[in-house]
Amino acid sequence: MNAPAEHHRNPRNERIGQPVRRKEDLRLITGKGRFSDDVNWPNQAYAVFLRSPHAHARIGAIDTRAALAIPGVLAVLTCKELLADGLKPVPHVPDAANPHEPNLVSPPGFKEMIAPHHVLAVDNVRYVGEAVAIVIANSVNLAKDGAEAVEVDYEVLPSVSATPAAAQPGAPKLWDSPDSNISIDAEVGDKAATEAAFARAKHIAKFETQVNRVTGVPMEPRAAVAQYDTATRRYTLHAGSGGAVRLKQDLAKILDVPANDVRVLMDDIGGNFGTRGMIYPEFGAVTWAARRVGRPVKWTCERSEAFLSDYQARDLFCTAELALDAEGNFLAMRGSNLSNVGSVPSNYGQLKKGVEIMTSLYRVPCAHFRARGVVSNTMLTRPYRSSGRPEVMYIMERLIDIAAFDFGFDRQALRRRNLLQSHELPYTNAFGMVYDSGDYHDAMEKAFALGNWAGFPARRAEAKARGKLRGIGTANYVDTATGVPRERAEITVHDDGRVDVVLGIVSNGQGHETSFAQLINEWFDVPIEKVRLIVGDTDIVQVGGGTHSGRGLRLGSIVMFNASNQIIEKGKRIAARLMECDPSVVRFFRGRFSAQGTDQTRTLTEVAAAAQRLPDLPEDLRGPLTAFSDETIHIPSFPYGCHVVEVEIDPALGTLEIVKYTAIDDVGLAVNPMIVHGQVHGAIAQGVGQALWENVHYDAASGQLLSGSFMDYAMPRADQLPSFTAEFTEIPCTTHPLGIRPGGEGGTTPALGVMINAVVDALSEFGVKHVEMPATPERIWRAIREAKNSPKRPATA
Amino acid sequence: MPTVSMTVNGKAVSGTVEGRTLLVQFLREHLGLTGTHVGCDTSQCGCCTIHLNGKGVKSCAVLALSCEGANIVTIEGLATADKLHPMQEAFREHHGLQCGFCTPGMIMSAVEMVRAKGHDLDEKTIRKQLEGNICRCTGYHNIVRAVQAGAAAMKGA
Repeated sequence: MNAPAEHHRNPRNERIGQPVRRKEDLRLITGKGRFSDDVNWPNQAYAVFLRSPHAHARIGAIDTRAALAIPGVLAVLTCKELLADGLKPVPHVPDAANPHEPNLVSPPGFKEMIAPHHVLAVDNVRYVGEAVAIVIANSVNLAKDGAEAVEVDYEVLPSVSATPAAAQPGAPKLWDSPDSNISIDAEVGDKAATEAAFARAKHIAKFETQVNRVTGVPMEPRAAVAQYDTATRRYTLHAGSGGAVRLKQDLAKILDVPANDVRVLMDDIGGNFGTRGMIYPEFGAVTWAARRVGRPVKWTCERSEAFLSDYQARDLFCTAELALDAEGNFLAMRGSNLSNVGSVPSNYGQLKKGVEIMTSLYRVPCAHFRARGVVSNTMLTRPYRSSGRPEVMYIMERLIDIAAFDFGFDRQALRRRNLLQSHELPYTNAFGMVYDSGDYHDAMEKAFALGNWAGFPARRAEAKARGKLRGIGTANYVDTATGVPRERAEITVHDDGRVDVVLGIVSNGQGHETSFAQLINEWFDVPIEKVRLIVGDTDIVQVGGGTHSGRGLRLGSIVMFNASNQIIEKGKRIAARLMECDPSVVRFFRGRFSAQGTDQTRTLTEVAAAAQRLPDLPEDLRGPLTAFSDETIHIPSFPYGCHVVEVEIDPALGTLEIVKYTAIDDVGLAVNPMIVHGQVHGAIAQGVGQALWENVHYDAASGQLLSGSFMDYAMPRADQLPSFTAEFTEIPCTTHPLGIRPGGEGGTTPALGVMINAVVDALSEFGVKHVEMPATPERIWRAIREAKNSPKRPATA
Repeated sequence: MPTVSMTVNGKAVSGTVEGRTLLVQFLREHLGLTGTHVGCDTSQCGCCTIHLNGKGVKSCAVLALSCEGANIVTIEGLATADKLHPMQEAFREHHGLQCGFCTPGMIMSAVEMVRAKGHDLDEKTIRKQLEGNICRCTGYHNIVRAVQAGAAAMKGA
């Protein structure tokens, strides 16, 4: 292959802050990546899932005889075998408490719903696509034939899929015990203070919205291959996920075996975005089936199957109000959030991480919100890129524009007046979240300048002359990054200069092999080619929370930093021995230990070799030069920024062009700015996709999924998006030892609000006050028509 | 079952396939060329794009049996033993990939684009031509840069 490009040759160019080209790319651009479906094990059989065609039904008899009669069909497993073998449900933890976040607590007497998410449906099916049986055969086609031959008696039950509808009294109930489908009913904030503030408000802006349901759609469909070794009684699963250790622990819980009886492997992972973050029922079923049939079993999810069975996201119904005084100062905020969790409450992250920052980066002295979850006959919803935050940023930024529209304020002026100043930080928001540091006004003014807000009127006039409607919008945002708090790094320096880093975080496309190696390069002066990340084998990686909630580099860097410092301290003592001096005079700089006051130096490699070679070192220095750090870090991080977008709409067709998209994001410290920019671009596209096109659509009457393929689920495509104008600011995060804020979610967080604000601005001349997401050409066209037909009444679409 | 023979990445290959076996299945499952990916089941995503007799096609929309005697190039056949194809190099240089799953199809489509539209590609043309390849990671921004640079670099290659 080609000689490495120039920037690869000099390790000095691989430090923190450099746009180092990625180590992982060579294999990925030559077709040598190893994704889940690329893995095959000898003598493997193939699995296909039989899925429910009904949104809600009682399962009667399941007749598998015809399927089992097909030559080549090895097994058909249903809830009968599942119960007989004692398989446990998927171990969801709906609400993981964090001392830095408000707890969602339901009132006394309200029983929070706990419902099992079985690997195969038991008794009832509760959404279209829920797995009812797994068929194992000698080929995929035979397994499909087998699935077709299974006969299931369904007694169809009434169903409900839409969000407010599922919460209504009298809605069809999914589970037996509670009175309704409401699964949690909490309140956050200060109700009395908020009511008092509203009572003295001059203006109250009001907004009601249904944030559409979307799904992450990693381009690599899920795939898994599993085997069971009868001699060691161990299960092995190869499947992509957000992290190997969590997958192993969760799989062991489903199989009801000790964690060490399970080994999980993973290699390249074709996207995650939260959607791939948690174990799936299919992984449990395939692993179980491998033991049942005594052969490795492989399953590859098809895309239409993924639309049914991948975790979905967002789907929040919200009513919110913002109180202002005569000058436009924000006084208080109140409202109610209702999160559609799907058929089983599995994770309230979307609800909690949204509601705790409803007030965003603005000075809002008090607030009160109700936060409820509701089950429905739909696939489960779970965190998806910036879980919960894009929804609430959209709500706040819409409220500000609505206040401007209704009460005659300038949109920029309202934001300038109420956005927190740097000297007010750290700032405790109305829900108790503590924003650490930043310069919010700097980010906003930069976005206004880079987006050329001042020149907009001329551009609007020019567009109008061409018969087009031009709109501009802005949105500030804050993002709360928390996630699984515990992470561990083990670093070993080998005697040939290689450095191994064992970590519980796998890359899902974020380029960890490069950016994490840049940290080691910065600290040890080791070329990144010599740094190896070991993440995808739970027989080596014992601890770690995986990749989600902006925790990969944020927490990974902390434990790597700690372990590196220990290596340097150990190295100083070994170097002192080699240089025959006292450890206190040894310094480490750019990969070399030196004895102060002498010209003696030893390289890190020489010291690592000495650790292996010298027989009489103290015990803690003997053997490979290695150290680990295992930390539990609860403190959240708060990336922030401001986006500005300009759109042009054809009023005859409702079609929209994004003319310019400007993003200013603060990531504290960009370890690899090239990678961070790439993260921002992709995150924006996902946010814009939700705002304009994407929608998981269940038919309200039948609960059937109508967005079941790329023909129906509108993915953002190259010809619909512009090139982005993206810059970042780097105000060090004061709660992180290296100043790092996460950079992967910021692009998505304001994108919903900024897009709808721009769309509504483009339509403002007709008196259009709001357009619901996704703001498709049809919705935009209807909004224009309705507004024209009722000129006195502001229209909503 | 019938046998099919073709040239894949310069090598004569043959295999016994079912009538319904797709070209992408033949490449991945029979030949072990797993660089060509399957991202959907409706010929929408473009992850499986390869070159069939010099033209870019989605290999999930072609039956293996219909490729008798055909000349196929996959992502594995684009680079020579010691040199990346300029389009591959451009994707690396311009960060045109993140998770890398759509990348083989993107690169094969980009090379096809140069064949069809020439070396001087403006952004609008590139975006229009990439409409049949879906990427979820990059927002396409850096893919557009990569294709533009790769197309120009192919002129001299």
